[in-house]
Amino acid sequence: MSNAIDQTRRMLSLVTYLRERPGARVSEVARAFGVSEAELIGDLNVLPLCGTSFRGGDLLDIDTDGERIWWHNPGTADDVAQPLRLAADEATALLVAARAVANLPGLRDSDRQALLRAVTKLEAAAGEAAEASAHLSVTFESEGSVFATVDRAITERRRLWMRYYSPARDTLTEREVDPIRLFAVGHTYVEGWCRLSEDRRTFRLDRVAEIRLLDEPSDPPRIEPRDLSQGLVQPAGDDPEVVIEVGPGGRWVAEYYPHDSAEELPDGGLRITLRTPDPGSLRRLALRLGRDGRIVAPAALAAGARDAAVQALGAYGE
Amino acid sequence: MAIAKAERLMNLALCLMNTRRPVSKRELRASIEAYHEVTSDDAFNRMFERDKDDLRELGLVIDTVESLDGEFGYLARSDRNRLPDIALDPEEAAALSLAAKVWQQARLAEAASGALQKLRAAGVPYEDASSALEPRIPAPEPAFEALMVATRERRAVAFDYRKANAVRPEPRLVEPWALECWRGHWYLAGYDRDREDVRVFRLSRISGKVRARGAAAAAVPDHVDVREAVARWAGEGATAATARIRLRHESGYPLRARALSTAAVDSEWDELEIPYGHGLDAWLAEFGPDVVVVAPEELRAEVVDRLRAVAKG
Repeated sequence: MSNAIDQTRRMLSLVTYLRERPGARVSEVARAFGVSEAELIGDLNVLPLCGTSFRGGDLLDIDTDGERIWWHNPGTADDVAQPLRLAADEATALLVAARAVANLPGLRDSDRQALLRAVTKLEAAAGEAAEASAHLSVTFESEGSVFATVDRAITERRRLWMRYYSPARDTLTEREVDPIRLFAVGHTYVEGWCRLSEDRRTFRLDRVAEIRLLDEPSDPPRIEPRDLSQGLVQPAGDDPEVVIEVGPGGRWVAEYYPHDSAEELPDGGLRITLRTPDPGSLRRLALRLGRDGRIVAPAALAAGARDAAVQALGAYGE
Repeated sequence: MAIAKAERLMNLALCLMNTRRPVSKRELRASIEAYHEVTSDDAFNRMFERDKDDLRELGLVIDTVESLDGEFGYLARSDRNRLPDIALDPEEAAALSLAAKVWQQARLAEAASGALQKLRAAGVPYEDASSALEPRIPAPEPAFEALMVATRERRAVAFDYRKANAVRPEPRLVEPWALECWRGHWYLAGYDRDREDVRVFRLSRISGKVRARGAAAAAVPDHVDVREAVARWAGEGATAATARIRLRHESGYPLRARALSTAAVDSEWDELEIPYGHGLDAWLAEFGPDVVVVAPEELRAEVVDRLRAVAKG
């Protein structure tokens, strides 16, 4: 259920929208307003209870047969049906996002130009409300040439060949991938069907060492796109558990690694519990942490990190 | 059954928009049915103030006018509330549809949808974002919203902040200037009143509530470069210093990608010259036995120190 503020915001715009479009279709209005038809009908049930005059009476006479929407007394509502200026939040939300996307390296030039033109027009229309957007900015990191290649592959429905770096193994592997979509969450990623593993995979563009467009058509199986709002890493319930204890200098681990729990320790550190399908991939983290933290479990991972450190010290004559 | 808040807000907004003269609180209370349900004057006054604030948050400009007999009247003038004409072509409309989907932070996500609704009501064509690109701006830190509002309204704020290596959070008093999201993390730049200097804070290290502390006083510089400060800390700023390392064949691709020079030493090792910025010791330690630091001595000692700590377990 949407909250009262958002519903009010929507209904104010609906009044303007419906006056200009007598007999508008419920389905089209719902689409234009980004709500379900049920939500829209909910709004249409409230609007006839709203009056336009402090003297009472003068209720909005808006009704629907479930398919089309009719407004019988639009003449009474000149001032309430004019398009409304944007609020500071509204101008900020659109402008900051549009500028961020426009600056994404590798974006198609026509898309970039359309965004920049829209930003200029919106700034002019928003006036003062646009000023607040200057305090907020967002940068998406992307590898321009890799991005452009993936974008082209998706548009032309072609398969990609890439050499991809896996930090967990510190290796480069060659793969063929049928790309499905690009997404940016801080870094930029391509989600696709990996023909090497015959599974869905997500690749971070700055880890692509080399990329080529193949002539073969891309033919990914129909899969439900991942829900990005849940975060990029979604460990399964039966993944092995890893326990890491860090001192104050290792608290950043909790910021970078999705985890099940992070308990405060008396020394200002944290005891972090997380799950991962491949605990071996955390050996790098153990080596990096040095005196700022250690792996508590599983024992094999702790031993692996110890052995690697001992072996590395050998090269320094220890 | 109580009248829903949205209906009450709608009635108030429509009354204020549809009048040419200021309407008094008394008149509004008498004409809006939802206010009849509130019997105490105090409760009504609180509700009325909150409702006006809510409508202002939605962008409505409500003027307050004092009449000759000292009574306040309110109106939302149509010339001050009208969106100026805006004509977008289909490409521009599609670009804004894409931009409106970017926020994951609830308040700005709703605001973006609201902006699109206003634009579409004003005649901007409906164009779906057809791009295969899905950009997302994360904003999970609870401090974000309070800091955004304080920055906009030029207010000082107080919060508890734990520096990267600190055992405990410490209270800070800051005049916020700019918020920036980089690599998916939010940072705040502002004037730290106690330290009398500019500081950059990472939002995820703010604990507890952000409290308002009155108007900000320090002059805001024209340009606040949050990213430069953060990148320098991450070891990615411009640095003239370099380090020499040995790297096992086939390993350490990211180090190779950043190397200024690479030469084979023997059948097992290459020697690389790489930029030497903050945090390089920790990064090199990650590669374990596949990296050996040649120079400088200081970096060698830092890496050995880290490895010893891990070897002790």
